[in-house]
Amino acid sequence: MLEVEDLVVRYGQATALDGVGLRVERGEMVALVGPNGAGKTTLLNTISGLIPPAAGRYRLEGRLAQVPEGRQLFAGMTVEDNLRLGAWRVRDRDCRRIYDLFPQLGPLRRRLAGTLSGGEQQMVAVGRALMAQPDLLAVDELSLGLAPLVVDALAEHLVRLNRETGMAILLVEQNARLALELCPRAYVLEAGRIAASGSSEELSRTAAVRAAYLGGAADEAAATGIGS
Amino acid sequence: MNRLRRRPLAFWAGLAAAVLSLLVPIALNDSQLTVYVFIGLSVIVVAGLSLLMGFAGQVSLGQAAFYAIGAYTAAILTRALEVPPLLSLAAATAFTAVVAVAVGLPLLRLRGHYLAFATLAFQLIVLSVIGEARGLTGGDTGMPGIPTLSIGPLAIQGQYRTFIYAYVTWVLVAAVLLFNRNLVRSRPGRGLRALATSEAGALAAGVPVVRYKLQVFALSAAYAGLAGGVYAFFVSYIAPGSFPVLLSVQFLIMAAVGGLGSIWGSAVGATVVYLLVQLLQSLGTGPGLPPQLPAILSYAVYGLVLVLIMLFLPQGLLPAIQGRISARRAVSAVESPARLARLD
Amino acid sequence: MTLFLQYAVSGIATGCTFALVATGFVVIYRVSRVVNFAQGVFAVVAGMAVSSFLSRGLPHGPAEVLAVALAALAGLVVGVIAIGRRGTPPLASLIITLGLGIGSYAVIILIWGDQPVSFTGLAGLARMGGISVQYQFLLVVAVTAVTFGLLSLFFDHTYLGKALTACSSNPYAARLVGIDVRRMGLLAFTLGGALGGLAGVLITPLQPVSFDSDVGIAINGFAAAIFGGLLRPGTALVGALVLGVAEALVAGYYRASFESGVALVVMLGLMVWQAGRRSPAAEEGA
Repeated sequence: MLEVEDLVVRYGQATALDGVGLRVERGEMVALVGPNGAGKTTLLNTISGLIPPAAGRYRLEGRLAQVPEGRQLFAGMTVEDNLRLGAWRVRDRDCRRIYDLFPQLGPLRRRLAGTLSGGEQQMVAVGRALMAQPDLLAVDELSLGLAPLVVDALAEHLVRLNRETGMAILLVEQNARLALELCPRAYVLEAGRIAASGSSEELSRTAAVRAAYLGGAADEAAATGIGS
Repeated sequence: MNRLRRRPLAFWAGLAAAVLSLLVPIALNDSQLTVYVFIGLSVIVVAGLSLLMGFAGQVSLGQAAFYAIGAYTAAILTRALEVPPLLSLAAATAFTAVVAVAVGLPLLRLRGHYLAFATLAFQLIVLSVIGEARGLTGGDTGMPGIPTLSIGPLAIQGQYRTFIYAYVTWVLVAAVLLFNRNLVRSRPGRGLRALATSEAGALAAGVPVVRYKLQVFALSAAYAGLAGGVYAFFVSYIAPGSFPVLLSVQFLIMAAVGGLGSIWGSAVGATVVYLLVQLLQSLGTGPGLPPQLPAILSYAVYGLVLVLIMLFLPQGLLPAIQGRISARRAVSAVESPARLARLD
Repeated sequence: MTLFLQYAVSGIATGCTFALVATGFVVIYRVSRVVNFAQGVFAVVAGMAVSSFLSRGLPHGPAEVLAVALAALAGLVVGVIAIGRRGTPPLASLIITLGLGIGSYAVIILIWGDQPVSFTGLAGLARMGGISVQYQFLLVVAVTAVTFGLLSLFFDHTYLGKALTACSSNPYAARLVGIDVRRMGLLAFTLGGALGGLAGVLITPLQPVSFDSDVGIAINGFAAAIFGGLLRPGTALVGALVLGVAEALVAGYYRASFESGVALVVMLGLMVWQAGRRSPAAEEGA
């Protein structure tokens, strides 16, 4: 599905990605976790074709659509226009699928996207990406700035889409707990390199990952599970 | 460490340029000396514009307006009010800077792209005010009989008039360039360089962005006013037609060719562009050639030079050459900010 | 009162041509964030082209259409040079459009000479409510109205038009959904060229154009565009009409030489007023 090998990306003198390798199989849900500035968004923008890599390569079978960090909607345009523009690369611009998936959006279709709540905006962002009928959906910071309940609902949608349509998902998250719970397999990106990878279960048992991303045991006990 | 290795070369090159430009007038005839003076005056204006564009990121299409204000102020003071020329020149420089502050205070809050149009509008307004204020400026017919520069009883006139003006201009150019050099290396200069990299970043680092921009704008206007004053004394006749919008464009081209923010580049840019235009004028005028040919040639060259420089050498001619030399000597950084990218 | 109406009507007609130029600025700026200094050139080229086509025996109608198409092509060429190269910063693009504007003088003088050019448009006068109005004025108003109608249909109701708006609203997101923002910029330049050309075709019968008329045309158009912050065509239209009428009144009641001063002063005042409402740091992020 997606195969990234030895990818190097530079911004001027600074190296953002330094030999990153990563795979996502057909129908798989994979998490990419790591701290702020590790290069997660750079990786997504590179495989989305926005940034030319300095070295290495990536191979993509099928179509990729991205739900960008911060949602990046066309704020002054309606929900429906936002969705329809998501289908720029495909013929089918019918938004009904999206309204079926997110019934909340139906009545909001004539509203300007910039006036919606954070959760509704994230639904539009996901919907816009889905309009491209992707084989791989890359979601950048699904949970950022959203209430836990809203995140739960959105995550549930993603898991369902993955199960029902076989669409692969690459979930990029600072919230490692959420990502590791949703995805069976994960990569840890640190300072432009893959620091660890493996099954999410193993990774969450690794002391280093726990200390760095899952924020200690006391915190863990207080947190509620998602999707289980 | 870059400095240490590069300084000797830059130093010798600068010294050679200084000595050469000091010796050149001896070999020139009167009309060539006139060209020499005009180039020098252009260097002074461009030195300011280059600073403004390179460090404050503002495009001014109204630099000829400041040139005109300097020229008219000097002329009116000496001719109508009989102020000594040297004092008039100083007053013209200061007054132009004051006008720039008054105009810049509101205008410099504008985005780069807007300011270009605003300064263009400013120049058109200045030209029409000069044209309308007949009592003071002689209107569209202009002001003849402007006295020459003098210190007490010593006036620049007679057989060596142009020759002496050449050296007066040389001294002013040297002073302006050295002032720029020291300014860029001073503490405010570091703030300016931060401004050149990112306005938001400079603001966050505590650089008083608006004040610095205004000061650079005023300084660039003062240079133009100074050059304009000398121009008035030198040619002794000025009219609105001496300061067309095209002159502003010409200054802009010189700054772009020299490299925005490159101090010595302004001398190179002004010289290269001025000589090029002169060459075209002489090529285009002659018996049997269509009368519009010089105009066509200069418009074409202005356009081509601007477009080509912006597309292929956005850092300017001199910095590009410097860059090549220093690359050969395995030294990287060129001391000029490539700051075009910062503007939205 | 009759005199006032007479001035007002002619002001509305010139205002309409400003509006077309202004929309050209807006369309280009919205998508590419470049203020196109060559905007006035499109009007000059189209106006002069019509007179050439007419003198070669082409009838009215086709001559005008061909001239507008030529201006659109000129717009595309300016766009390709100004933004076609990947990574050209907007400030460099601005200086490039300025260079192309100056360079075009050479071409225009080569083809059409350095004397003003004109042609007769719709001849005759209509009597309306006690005043006589040139048919050309009515034509200008009608064409402008139709053009604005079509533009609003295009931007509000077509997929391509919405993609153009998307590029202006959020270029990053536009690229993410697969829109080629540079290509959209070229489309905008072409459209801007056509709009400028349309203005030139309409204005040349009213006032002859010469190679350097573009500065005046661009200044008026830009002043009108500034009303809408360079982003809103509708506000630019209102601005253009206000400007056109104000200039006609100033020229009529005071002095013709003050006419262009109106645009300059209005433009500076508006820019300063708008700048006062935004901080420089916010500008940079925008």
